[in-house]
Amino acid sequence: MSFRALWIISHDKGEHASIRFSRRFSTVEHRAKRLAGSSYVAVPEEGTVLQLLLTELGLSDSDKSYVAQRDDCLRCHRSPALELQVDGPGKGALWPVLTISQGPLILACLCLVDAPPEPRPPLANLLSISQGITFLEGLQTFLLGSGSKPDNEGLVSRLAMLPSVILQVCPLGTPLDVPALGAPITPTVPTPAGNQKQPAWKTGVHRGRAVVNVALIETVRSMQYGNQSRQDLWDVYGTVTCKCEVEGVLPNVTVTLTLPPNGSPLQDILVHPCVTSLDSSILTASSIDNCDGSAFSGPYKFPFSPPLEPFRLCSYTSQVPVPPILGSYHLTEEDNQLRVSLTLKLHETVKNSFEYCEAHLPYFNRDQMGIVDVKVSSGQMDVSKEKNLLVWTLGQKFPKSREVTMEGRITFCGPSPGPSDPLCTDLTAYIKLYFKVPDMTLSGCCVDQHSVQVYSSTKPRIVTSRELHSEEYFIWNSTGKAPVSSGQMML
Amino acid sequence: MAAAWAERVSTFKSKPSRFLSATTAETFLAELLRELRDDRASYNVKVLLLSPICEHPALLCPSDCVGEETALELMSVFAQCPPKYAHFRCHLLVALTSVLICTSCMSSLSRASQDFLDLLLQLSQDISDLHSDGILHSVRVTACECLQELEACFPGLLTQHVELFSGLRQQDTFRFHQAYAGLHSLVLRNAVYQLTQETGAGAEQLKAVLGGNTSVAWEADQDSGLMNIKDSSILSSVILGSMSTVPTLHTGPDCKELRSVLSSLLEESYILTPLSQAALLYRLTEVVAMVPGVAPAIFRAQLLRLLGTSKVCLLHTTLLLKCAFTDSLFSAEDEAFILKRLVVLSQHPLLTTPTKLFYMDCILHFPENRPINCGGSEESLPVLLTPQLASTLVPTVFNDSATMLARLNLLCLVYLEEGEEEGRGLDYLYEHIISLLHTVENGGGREIVVTFFRAVFLFLSYFYHMECFSNGLIEKLCKLYRHHTRLAPQLINLADQTQDRLAESNWAVDLLKELQRVITNVPLAQLTLKNLPWHLKMLARVAEEGKAPQHSTLSFLYSVITPVSSSLCVSGDWPLGNCVLRVCRRLLVHPSLDSLVIPLADILQHLACHYSDTDIQDHARLYYTLLTTLSQEKLAGLLAQGATEGGRWVKKRSLSCLMGDSEGLTSLLTIHQTEKAIFSLVEVDSDPQQETQEYRESLLNQNETNICTDEVNTTLEAYRCQLSSPDVPSEITLNYQLVHTETYDSCFDQLFSIRLHFTLTDEHYEELRDISVPCLFRERPSPVVKLRLKPRQPFPTTLHASAIFTNQDGLSWHTILPDIHVAFQQAFTPLPAPLAWRQECKLNLFERLWDEFSSESQDCATTLFCCKLKESDLISLVEKHFLPFLISDWSHKEEFKVIFFLPPQSHVLLKIRPEVDAVHFDIATDNWQLLPYLSSYLQTLISSKEDAHSCHNNCEAY
Repeated sequence: MSFRALWIISHDKGEHASIRFSRRFSTVEHRAKRLAGSSYVAVPEEGTVLQLLLTELGLSDSDKSYVAQRDDCLRCHRSPALELQVDGPGKGALWPVLTISQGPLILACLCLVDAPPEPRPPLANLLSISQGITFLEGLQTFLLGSGSKPDNEGLVSRLAMLPSVILQVCPLGTPLDVPALGAPITPTVPTPAGNQKQPAWKTGVHRGRAVVNVALIETVRSMQYGNQSRQDLWDVYGTVTCKCEVEGVLPNVTVTLTLPPNGSPLQDILVHPCVTSLDSSILTASSIDNCDGSAFSGPYKFPFSPPLEPFRLCSYTSQVPVPPILGSYHLTEEDNQLRVSLTLKLHETVKNSFEYCEAHLPYFNRDQMGIVDVKVSSGQMDVSKEKNLLVWTLGQKFPKSREVTMEGRITFCGPSPGPSDPLCTDLTAYIKLYFKVPDMTLSGCCVDQHSVQVYSSTKPRIVTSRELHSEEYFIWNSTGKAPVSSGQMML
Repeated sequence: MAAAWAERVSTFKSKPSRFLSATTAETFLAELLRELRDDRASYNVKVLLLSPICEHPALLCPSDCVGEETALELMSVFAQCPPKYAHFRCHLLVALTSVLICTSCMSSLSRASQDFLDLLLQLSQDISDLHSDGILHSVRVTACECLQELEACFPGLLTQHVELFSGLRQQDTFRFHQAYAGLHSLVLRNAVYQLTQETGAGAEQLKAVLGGNTSVAWEADQDSGLMNIKDSSILSSVILGSMSTVPTLHTGPDCKELRSVLSSLLEESYILTPLSQAALLYRLTEVVAMVPGVAPAIFRAQLLRLLGTSKVCLLHTTLLLKCAFTDSLFSAEDEAFILKRLVVLSQHPLLTTPTKLFYMDCILHFPENRPINCGGSEESLPVLLTPQLASTLVPTVFNDSATMLARLNLLCLVYLEEGEEEGRGLDYLYEHIISLLHTVENGGGREIVVTFFRAVFLFLSYFYHMECFSNGLIEKLCKLYRHHTRLAPQLINLADQTQDRLAESNWAVDLLKELQRVITNVPLAQLTLKNLPWHLKMLARVAEEGKAPQHSTLSFLYSVITPVSSSLCVSGDWPLGNCVLRVCRRLLVHPSLDSLVIPLADILQHLACHYSDTDIQDHARLYYTLLTTLSQEKLAGLLAQGATEGGRWVKKRSLSCLMGDSEGLTSLLTIHQTEKAIFSLVEVDSDPQQETQEYRESLLNQNETNICTDEVNTTLEAYRCQLSSPDVPSEITLNYQLVHTETYDSCFDQLFSIRLHFTLTDEHYEELRDISVPCLFRERPSPVVKLRLKPRQPFPTTLHASAIFTNQDGLSWHTILPDIHVAFQQAFTPLPAPLAWRQECKLNLFERLWDEFSSESQDCATTLFCCKLKESDLISLVEKHFLPFLISDWSHKEEFKVIFFLPPQSHVLLKIRPEVDAVHFDIATDNWQLLPYLSSYLQTLISSKEDAHSCHNNCEAY
């Protein structure tokens, strides 16, 4: 349940790699030595660790096409824990090393194995593995922020804060918490709070006007093939994010999700640890079961005591009967010319009011585009600066018919080759849709402002919102060979 | 100042060994402690200074007493630090904990560690900070964490304080309850574990521990008893899966006190952070597992909350609960639900890749209520995982490589179990591999290529026996190779690994044969200087297969090198020639060589005559000669390097192999550095008895015929004349043996071509030449090394020695030998008088020289050395040490006259007389600088005689 060492590495596609922060936990190492006995392998010095990690992650020697230590087909990376082969005196395997990479950063920690070393225990028996993953994920969010692109200055200042942050969250190798986002932790003065205990995950107490903000975001993914032999796929998942400014040490808030009368049940529900209790019926629906009509379909009640910072209250998946936009894409090749024909239909249940809606048509493994002669029934067509991508901006609304088309020819005769992609060659091509529809969800799920209950002395202001946006929304060329994206459609 | 320290500390942290080679741990630690005590240093710098102590306490405090002193120092720094520097105080506590645990101060409960323990207990209870600034609380939290780490390293240390921590936890309403809860649960867990190890312990003892009354629980003295725990099993988890046994404490059903403690901890677990909550739940799971008197149902209230969580560490605790309690806590429906949940989570869009990989790993080690197989570390599928359920986890080309391989592995297991009749899923997996292959064909990057070959290997390792797939793969791989010859190393690696791992399968040989067919059918026009080396590399691998016929390879080689149209012989360079020779070399040891002799000889002869590179010509000629003159057995013996394994030659590194693979060649051409000295030079004890005996005999022989006729005055001149002749030794020869040091490493058992290099440490000797030793084997007698030193001044000295050598693996090494010390007496040489001289002439010379040294002023000196010595001791001393240098008659015991000649030109003359009160050593020399060395030499000689006392040493120099 402890870590022997922690490293943070920055690199640029395997080049210029350096250790930006490291911490060895000597007392845990002391335990590791006693636990492992004769099979103990000491943690090597930083340079060695760096080299071994890069090799194991396939990032070393990027100029060489084959390096035995790195590329051997026997070393099959399919576990979250790596094994580093330490050479020289005290050689052996350093295991389990957990890593998380995002952009230029690699976060790694070596977990303590609190079990007899032989035979090697499964990861599932070691609590330190799941703790390590949780800790590294928290550390990553702290260093890079969630989702957005890492900015270098921010990263440098966050790295500089690490020694004091680690003292708070993992002083001696046993993780207590993940680093708190935002300002460095300065615990506020405790207040006499009667006999209620303040949660350890709450750094203080809110004072002032009570505001509860509940945002419901649904994301839709799709793979459309326009082909009899391949079934089109789409799925929807939703997240409910809350920011609650409510007085009290352990205030009670309940958020309720409701579905329209014949909506399909929410599945695979995951909740934040601050949710105090759950009804078993909420958890039963699962996306891998055949959904039957008798399943529980709400209302979904989530009683919780909120932390101070914004948090993801819950997430779910849903099976909706139709995709919001159905597309068909046809490409035919004539000489050095492509004939393009594309139709997009907006489903009638979807609100025809977008924040944005764009279709991107990339062309890989070809020369740059020369003459682009396309007509669109609505919106505006642009050629990207690199001349290998068409961007069709559909704007805020589909026309009344809820259908838009594009027809035309493209010739490729540019001086330099465009981007390459091993997956998309010749007629294996796709368009990708980017859209966002405010104030709607596909599943019909919503948070009613009046259903948010706050047990507090003052009446809080409650704000709710919902939106739908797309992610990995692909429409494949029906005349080409599209890759299989899920086994379910084949089996 | 701060920047300098930041630089130093980071240098230390990145490479402690190199940092400490420039200074010592002692010095560095002293500097750190001095700076920590310095009032002028800022607290930010001081925090930085503590990090080397926190992270490498054992390195900086190599012994317990250093650890103890360091701890006392740090405690005094803590005592003097104002409370407002809470941050620094926290770091200090962590540093103290590290030092005391990592040296054995804590395990021996030294004074410092007892003081520290008292300090921590006091800090952990100190609630005076309650109304002060928030930052001050951190000291209390850190103190609790330090206590927890101490308890984790020395289980049972705090057992007597169980009740204290329980009370503190319950009283606290602020955020410290988490620290107390962690401490309380760990101490409780360790106490219960220890009770399980006590014979006869039961409900009463448990109650006593919970009540803080440990004297009832343990009769033995607590402190000394617990510190001596050598067994590490208490550190290890008690929940290890279905096959392990959990130590149990039999209490009967009455465990009210324990149950109430557990419920109270569980009730409040919700207000802990997920990471601490997971740790707490795990400790409590261990406690309940060890006490059958408490029903696992105590956890039931938490289960739904934990099963619905999005945090991986919390869901993991439910899996561990299931592992510990199986059907006593989880029904069959629960089990099905958890498994479904795991499958869902393994592909959930909102989770990160490591989390999903972890969940997939959990599926393969699912803690079933009724496991069929014995569990352990083997991957196996839970019975409830149907192909239908697993189908959501089929791999696709959109997966990242780790996810794809993990899914492929899981699905392979599913379909392997399912059997062949329902082949659709398996067909899908095969198609998936083929679509990966297409991606590689379309120019996928390195990562895709590597992933593809791993996927192929994984697939084959499950389904190599299904010919429709394995043959199909061979065909597809050959097609891939035809268009992408650069994939030769990956294909060779795949062939190697399938051959090694799937011994019962013939797949690798089939693949290689087919590749051979593809290569040898390539039209000549399509061969380029770019793809030919890959083809040759591949053919060389095929030639390792005894079962693969090689005629087509030979005709391919022949057609490549012979025709006029081929530019290979004309423009081929050394590497390409080597590629051809490598194939030939493997063919020379092929089992079917008999049938290959003529075409192979033709090829070698052609290369020898026409290849544009001379070196290649020479080697081809050598191979040709070997082939045409040696029998097959001899040829095989000559060329085989190491045994064959699985019908394939095992590669061995050797320069004589010539065509080293690029990777092997680098390590072969690099000189590696040994960590420790591998061998040393040990001075040979040339048997002095033997030498003196011989010398005495020669003297006796001389005595019989000894008549000196020379004129007195001419003696000195003749000697001077002799000194300038080249016969006079200008060197001293020292004999050493080269022997292995104590450190045993089998890879240095046989060493070859050892080249010893010596470096002088002063100006008194001429530079030494390197010395070569052919070989050094551990089991054979040590070789003798003669060191020839040419003095400028015959002073004692020290030589640094190093060596370069080759070991049996063919790698070159550089090593440092222990220093060689050359003592003063090792420079002594007998008087270089002309051979014809009799003893009287030498005596005569002795007197002449004596007079000269006594009168001349330049560099000459006389002195007297006195000591108490019995006469018998004196005689044995002279016999043992001075006999080769004795000028006077051995029988003449009243006065011994001795001359040491020290190359190049120095003399030391001794007249040794036993007087009434002491033995007098009258000394005369022509190099007064030798006197201090002589004096200490004589003193060591005398002191080696036990009853001797040096009483007087009178030295006068002119």
